[in-house]
Amino acid sequence: MKQKTSLPAVFLTPAMMILAVLAFVPTVYAIYISLQNRELSRPVGDFVGLANYIDLFSDRRFINAIGVSLTWEAVTVGMTLIVAVGLGILLFECAAPRMRNMLALLFLMPVILPRVSAAFVWKFAFHPLYGIATYPYKAITGQPLDLLSNPATALATVALVDVWQWGLFFAVIVLKLLETLPPQPFEAARLDHARTWEIYTHIAIPMLKAPLISLAFVKMIESLRAFDLIYVMTRGGPGITTETLDMYAFSQGFIESGRISYASSMAVLMMIATSIAFTFIWKRVQ
Amino acid sequence: MRKARKLVSSIAFACLLSSTASTVALAAECTETIKVLAQPRDGLTLLEDYKAEFEKLSGGASFEIDYLNENDRRAKTKADASTIGKYNVYYIDEANVALFASAGWVAPLLDYYPADYDYADFDPGRQKVATYDGKVWFAPITGGGDLMVYRKDLLEAAGIAPPKTLDEYIAAVKKLNQPDLGIYGTALRGQRGSGANVWRWMPFFKGFGGNWFDGKTPVFDGEQAIKATETYLELFKYSAPGSQTGGWDEAVGAFTSGQVAMLIESTPLVGMAIDPKSSKVAGKVGYLPPPAPLTGGGYGHGLAIGAKANKDEASKACAGLFVAWATSKENESRRLEANQFSELNRTSIMTSKKFAELYGPDLGQALADTGKVTAVNFWQNPQWPDLGDRWGIILEELITGTRTDIKDGLDELDGFAKELVARSQ
Repeated sequence: MKQKTSLPAVFLTPAMMILAVLAFVPTVYAIYISLQNRELSRPVGDFVGLANYIDLFSDRRFINAIGVSLTWEAVTVGMTLIVAVGLGILLFECAAPRMRNMLALLFLMPVILPRVSAAFVWKFAFHPLYGIATYPYKAITGQPLDLLSNPATALATVALVDVWQWGLFFAVIVLKLLETLPPQPFEAARLDHARTWEIYTHIAIPMLKAPLISLAFVKMIESLRAFDLIYVMTRGGPGITTETLDMYAFSQGFIESGRISYASSMAVLMMIATSIAFTFIWKRVQ
Repeated sequence: MRKARKLVSSIAFACLLSSTASTVALAAECTETIKVLAQPRDGLTLLEDYKAEFEKLSGGASFEIDYLNENDRRAKTKADASTIGKYNVYYIDEANVALFASAGWVAPLLDYYPADYDYADFDPGRQKVATYDGKVWFAPITGGGDLMVYRKDLLEAAGIAPPKTLDEYIAAVKKLNQPDLGIYGTALRGQRGSGANVWRWMPFFKGFGGNWFDGKTPVFDGEQAIKATETYLELFKYSAPGSQTGGWDEAVGAFTSGQVAMLIESTPLVGMAIDPKSSKVAGKVGYLPPPAPLTGGGYGHGLAIGAKANKDEASKACAGLFVAWATSKENESRRLEANQFSELNRTSIMTSKKFAELYGPDLGQALADTGKVTAVNFWQNPQWPDLGDRWGIILEELITGTRTDIKDGLDELDGFAKELVARSQ
């Protein structure tokens, strides 16, 4: 029979208390001020009930930001996983172990780079007049290519930088995961004349399902925090085509209006929506 | 000769400093480090070389400057001043001085600005934008109006005389636009923001006779705003790539790299355009006041005393001393010596022999002429950043084509302005 011990409680309590202070206090405070009409220049506000929440649903920028955030989430998570799995398999299949290690080191570089630095580097690279990434197009057609000013391409261009950072990093993880898999199932499949794509589709990827799902979750959470990348590269423009929810909330709270209560109501809604979405997805996956 | 001049100026500095120091030393004994939140400026970087001088002057206090780019500086100063108030001195500007003053985030400057430092010497236009509700709130570190800056070589080659009217300007821009040769007619600001695209749009709006408000009633939603927007969008067809979502940096970068024929920009552009270190077109640049009927966008950025971090009168006096020293004649003379044109704000410096020697009589004349058409184009109200930024977004949508109906955009802004007024009451 197991002996009852208070040791777990002793170790857990301080950590839980710190977590409670760091997580619950700001959350409760955000909910509290979201029910008021406080502004930075007018710190004392009145209670307005759910007015801020109701106003949000007639705010075209908020509705637009929901769409942009969902698109951003789907594109960056999806593309990162596709790039990671594709490159990981390519390295595993085509590169010798030494070359793999060298490439793995190279692939880790982008994610080590601070987001803001990466954003600036790519912003200059995409500049229509002096950018190195747009130069080939200009050289061939004689016309400048302004990807970040074009509403049709701006979000995809910023997403490309995100995938460059995280897709390559995840490719290294996928490669290392593939290296840990037992070789027998692969050998058996080859004896049965399975094609390479069939081996990966039917054997390797199903075997890696659990870690790939974990990677997807990590990326989903990370993609929610892409504020710095988008802010530096487009500031939410052209117009509002790359304005995500966190960027709009920040803008309302600190850049344009100083409407911290209104911004808090957005933050609270985002928190509720992400908690529900992640719980739902987690349960479905399990 | 050069050494002798340096020696003379050093003696002059020493005399001025000792005279001001003796007066100020009586007023303040400062020992705490003065924290400053600013945006990058060559003049402030230069100031950091003279920390020891300020320490001596203040009785032991040093200073630390944190830099953020313009938009981030605006957001951070607002957040800091309204919450923890960590900074003793804020870099503020014409667009948010009303907000900072009315919210009580900054202290009235002249109450703590030692008289010896001669505030009245600042350019009158800059004094005007630093004033709100009858009180002065910041000491200018940069400012001015607009100039039309053009490539003399390109205009001569095309047989075009420097435009004096807006119609001539538009015709010249169209004629000079040769994308195949890598030359664009102009460079505008498309990036959202009251200090970005709206700043460059306002001279058209005010030049066509537009007004923001009549008392508390918005009156901007009329013919003048439509015409201003149509003209701005028309000119954007000839604006350098990258400027559609770019601001000052992109417009100026395109001009100084030799890809733009002419543009109307804030006066510091001239200093950069004629300096061979920062411009590929130095020696080919001409400048004149903006073509009629455009008004120049009068602006001023400067240092203000934070109200929260400086809890008592003594701390405010120390911050005031720092602001006065940082914007003093002595430090402006140093900036002039270092060829920092955009950092000059004092009449005594801009009318000095040294200024004329460095920049020639033409620039002095152009600055004097543009002063006559320089105006306060924005709505001088604490809610201006809010309104200006909202119009900035709508304008960026119009520029990049995600919206096409100008009237609809102005109607949306009108509704927003009414809400804004209602909220403030």
